[in-house]
Amino acid sequence: MSRHRRSPLDDDDLLSEILLRLPPQPSSLPRASLVCKRWRGLASDPGFCRCFRIHHRRNPPLLGLFDSHPIVPFRPTVDPPNRVSPGRFSLQLSDSRHVRSLGCRHGLALYFDCVLPQLLVWDPIHGDQRRIALPPGFDAERALIDGAVLRAAGDAHFQFQVLLVGALDDDDDEDAEGQMVSVFTCVYSSETGVWGNLFSTLITAESYVSLGPAVLVGDSVYSILVTSPGYELDPETQILEFDLKMQSLATIQLPVDMLEYCRLMPVRADGGGLGLFLVSNFTAQLWKRKTDCNGVASWGLGRTVALDELLSLNSESGYLISIIGYAEENNLVFLGTAEGVFMIQLESLQFTKLSGDVMFPRHHPFESVYTTG
Amino acid sequence: MATREAGKKMIMLKSPDGMEFEVEEAVAMESQTIRKMIEDDCADTAILIPNINSKILSRVIEYCNKHVPTTGATGAAASDTVAPAALAEDLKIWDAEFIKVNRATRFDLIQAASYLNIKGLLDLTSQTTIDTISDNSLEEIRSFLSTKNDYLPEEEQTIRRENQWAFQ
Repeated sequence: MSRHRRSPLDDDDLLSEILLRLPPQPSSLPRASLVCKRWRGLASDPGFCRCFRIHHRRNPPLLGLFDSHPIVPFRPTVDPPNRVSPGRFSLQLSDSRHVRSLGCRHGLALYFDCVLPQLLVWDPIHGDQRRIALPPGFDAERALIDGAVLRAAGDAHFQFQVLLVGALDDDDDEDAEGQMVSVFTCVYSSETGVWGNLFSTLITAESYVSLGPAVLVGDSVYSILVTSPGYELDPETQILEFDLKMQSLATIQLPVDMLEYCRLMPVRADGGGLGLFLVSNFTAQLWKRKTDCNGVASWGLGRTVALDELLSLNSESGYLISIIGYAEENNLVFLGTAEGVFMIQLESLQFTKLSGDVMFPRHHPFESVYTTG
Repeated sequence: MATREAGKKMIMLKSPDGMEFEVEEAVAMESQTIRKMIEDDCADTAILIPNINSKILSRVIEYCNKHVPTTGATGAAASDTVAPAALAEDLKIWDAEFIKVNRATRFDLIQAASYLNIKGLLDLTSQTTIDTISDNSLEEIRSFLSTKNDYLPEEEQTIRRENQWAFQ
């Protein structure tokens, strides 16, 4: 009797419920298509593919890397059969010399062309592109510019927000003790096609200023504001926090007892919230920001890792380790070492050596659910 | 099965084969379908659940009983004194035991979870089905799911060629 009973697999809605749970890896749907014609019909249906991407939006696999500058083809970091060939994601630019990548998120990539000057949002999987002029009042020639792109909720097709972060020496205060740096942010929404209000804050910085990569944690985007070369920590280093929901800009001081002169990257702490990954010489530390019941925030030290032991590095070499990228969804840090580039998962500490390169442009990990439908 | 407790509103669920199940309203409302009936005042004294036999319905109620987010009445795990992480771990272990059923029962549970709109149960049953087949060969998948290969050999070759990278 049971042989003749209707199986959930006979019902397209239930079959798609089941197939949605296939792993988010690129080869999942093409492989499922081979089972039978009905499965193929579903797996190549654009509506199903959209649901598949939405279902896995919180656990997209890392597909590979886009370098910051120069603009080079996509570099896959996974082995076959989930290796998406570089040619599938190719950004056609008439002149890429003035263009650098600012980062990737939610399957979108953000670029800045400093000559035009314009931002460019690109969906490598579907090929959509949009160029966006900078908001009025942004001095692209003098300001340091960074930013973050986020897809609008619900996987709406090519609807996104761009957070622009800028830092500019404040000329009026040149004679003052220390230098005043004006930090400003502005959010663009593709839905309205306009920039929102400009938020700014003044901070004191001794000398050099650079912005680290933007990391999304909860509803806020964090960037390290570095006041000395090479992402090194000094007393003036601060974390910029822009809360997208509350539309507010704030700065967060680093704890004084963190390692001196280390390199650092904002990360997603276990259990959510803001974390920091620090490297000093060959020691890495993970810190977590906690807020008590009175709303007072403090930093707590989590685990400490001897990177020379973990990665079998020669600590006598005197070669400093750089943090060159962070994949938010997979919690992976990318480290540049004398032995090449390593990728480490921050919970399991499993690592992979990606290349023997010793030149380290900033790496922008591309995490997305790749479907061809 | 749930026992009546002071102050808890109970409702009756009836299966098509005539069995009746008295459950706490909060437990029954784990099903979005039943929740809507109750909220729309379509549920008087008993709700008939069509297409779901008593054996499957009792398993579904067992699942909802375990997963209802209240304290006390739903077993030792749902206690104020247990940390959320420990509770989640306990539920995971419980789910793993719960889903150790044969294929026919699992498919019935998928249909029931879909009709009653119980997201957690649909997740559990569908994910378990996928996990069962994900490491299998095509032939094993077809055989497990009683699905026939309706491709001609040349059609299969064409599909492999189109997405060659995914079959390396």
